[in-house]
Amino acid sequence: MAVGCAIMLLPFFWMVTTSLKTEAGAMRMPPQWIPPEPQWENYVVAWNMAPFGRYFFNSFFIAIMCTIGEVITTILAAYAFAKMRFIGKEVLFAIFLGTLMIPGEMLLVPNYVTLTRLGWLDRYEGLIIPWIVSVFGIFLLRQFFRSIPDELWDAARIDGCSRLRYLWRVIVPLSKPAILTVALFKFLGSWNSFQWVLLMTNTESMRTVPVGLMTFSSDIGTAYHLLMAASVMAIVPILILFFFTQKQFIQGVARTGIK
Amino acid sequence: MVDRSGQKKPGPVLPFWQRVAGALNPVNWYRKDPALWRESGTAYLYLLPALIILGIFVFYPFFSAFYISLFKWGILPPRPYIGFANYSYIFNDKYFWRALWHTFYYVIITVPVTLFLAILVATLLNKGLRFLSFARTSFFLSYISPIVAIAMVWRWMYNADYGLINYLLSLLNKLPFVHIDPIAWLNDPRYSIPALIILSVWHYVGYHAIILLAGMQNIEQQYYDAAKVDGASGFQTWLHVTVPLLTPQLFFVLIMSLIGSFKVFTEVITLFNGPGPLRSAETIVYYILRMSGRIDSATMHLGRAAAGSVILFGIIFVLTIFQMTVTQRRVHYQ
Repeated sequence: MAVGCAIMLLPFFWMVTTSLKTEAGAMRMPPQWIPPEPQWENYVVAWNMAPFGRYFFNSFFIAIMCTIGEVITTILAAYAFAKMRFIGKEVLFAIFLGTLMIPGEMLLVPNYVTLTRLGWLDRYEGLIIPWIVSVFGIFLLRQFFRSIPDELWDAARIDGCSRLRYLWRVIVPLSKPAILTVALFKFLGSWNSFQWVLLMTNTESMRTVPVGLMTFSSDIGTAYHLLMAASVMAIVPILILFFFTQKQFIQGVARTGIK
Repeated sequence: MVDRSGQKKPGPVLPFWQRVAGALNPVNWYRKDPALWRESGTAYLYLLPALIILGIFVFYPFFSAFYISLFKWGILPPRPYIGFANYSYIFNDKYFWRALWHTFYYVIITVPVTLFLAILVATLLNKGLRFLSFARTSFFLSYISPIVAIAMVWRWMYNADYGLINYLLSLLNKLPFVHIDPIAWLNDPRYSIPALIILSVWHYVGYHAIILLAGMQNIEQQYYDAAKVDGASGFQTWLHVTVPLLTPQLFFVLIMSLIGSFKVFTEVITLFNGPGPLRSAETIVYYILRMSGRIDSATMHLGRAAAGSVILFGIIFVLTIFQMTVTQRRVHYQ
């Protein structure tokens, strides 16, 4: 087990340690495990070599907007599926679940055509709006909402509470853990998203951290100490998020396997 | 004719045409259950945002992929209808078959190796180590990190001259009868797919292990007690109690990783900054996106790319159907 952990952590260790070396130090054989004089300024140099400020802003902005949007649409749809009677419910739910079988990669080309027509290429709209619904999230929240007893709604209705108010004041607070899980995974997915951003943007100013890191790597060639510094910067926000919400994260993953 | 329910028949029997007209009249649909109709209106209002987005970006493109695949579709019109010419182009393109082979080669090794290691890791984690949460976190880190950042450090570790991996391998040369030459991981076409496999296994093993671990922790203690009473050894218990009761999670992980591995793309482009030496790491999705003209500065052939997407869907569809049949037949233990 210790060996396993070591193998899992070695690349991270190597990333950090390389990021603190000089260029000559990085190319030394046998390699230095700990650089004698940590070169903290590598981070400053790397940061200034590409518009990382812009990349980080884009990544944060897109991830936050996607998360907010998804939480709203998902709560509404999940509530309808969990607690309301409507015509075509079973069919619609089956269709929603059916979309999980469609590989996202299949939709890239037609969606590229759609975004071109909408004029959304290279714009925040094209990077956010297609991603504010998640069928998996709807499915997850529906399961959770269904476990909330209907007596609460009956009581609320007698008190003259509207549906929307009931959803916001009763259902949402009771489902906080599930909603938080959905939101976390959306944020993570959005932050790490690569393929879509690569295909749907052309200009530097619209790139996110992962795509920016990729172009940075082809621009700087073999300056691995700077590349590693940039990679560390790309991981740090996710690490911070992870350490604060570890429990939700791991439970969320665990829950996907147990239906 | 016997009235089975024994209930009173509602009203007189109307002539046939009147019954048809009644059934087709929307007013009657409404009268039958007015509350249902009113609630439906609200429900669809709640579903509207999801329906609009899914409609535009999932349902429509799904059908549109089939449509576009029948056209010669470049940057600018005209975009003439060309029947199945895009499909015959793909099936006659040696790079398609190579991409298919690379993908199969990658999947057939990555999936079992990841699954095997994940079971091993989950079993060890389930033993209740003192550093459980530390170990779990270290296995999870690789999964949550952006693939691009991961691929960058692996690119560096695979470096033929200064990479950590060749250095560690060279240490083995100190043993008698061992001689390992430095491997050009990223420049030698023979090593492209192996390099990709190692990266992917490392990236996904923790995620799968966490799912399996959750499954293991869900197994009730009574089964283990029974095994103990029967005098089963630790390994026997694992093989005859843990593994069979874990089949739902095992199948879930197997299918997810099978489908996921088929779509491998990001790992390729970030590790090799292209399709690998002599396109030796080009996979199916890479091949499709290359035809779209959005990567590698290739020419834009959206019709061909759409045809490729439809073929990809076919492959994934077969896998999913297979999964559904197998799951229904095999996974009913608990």
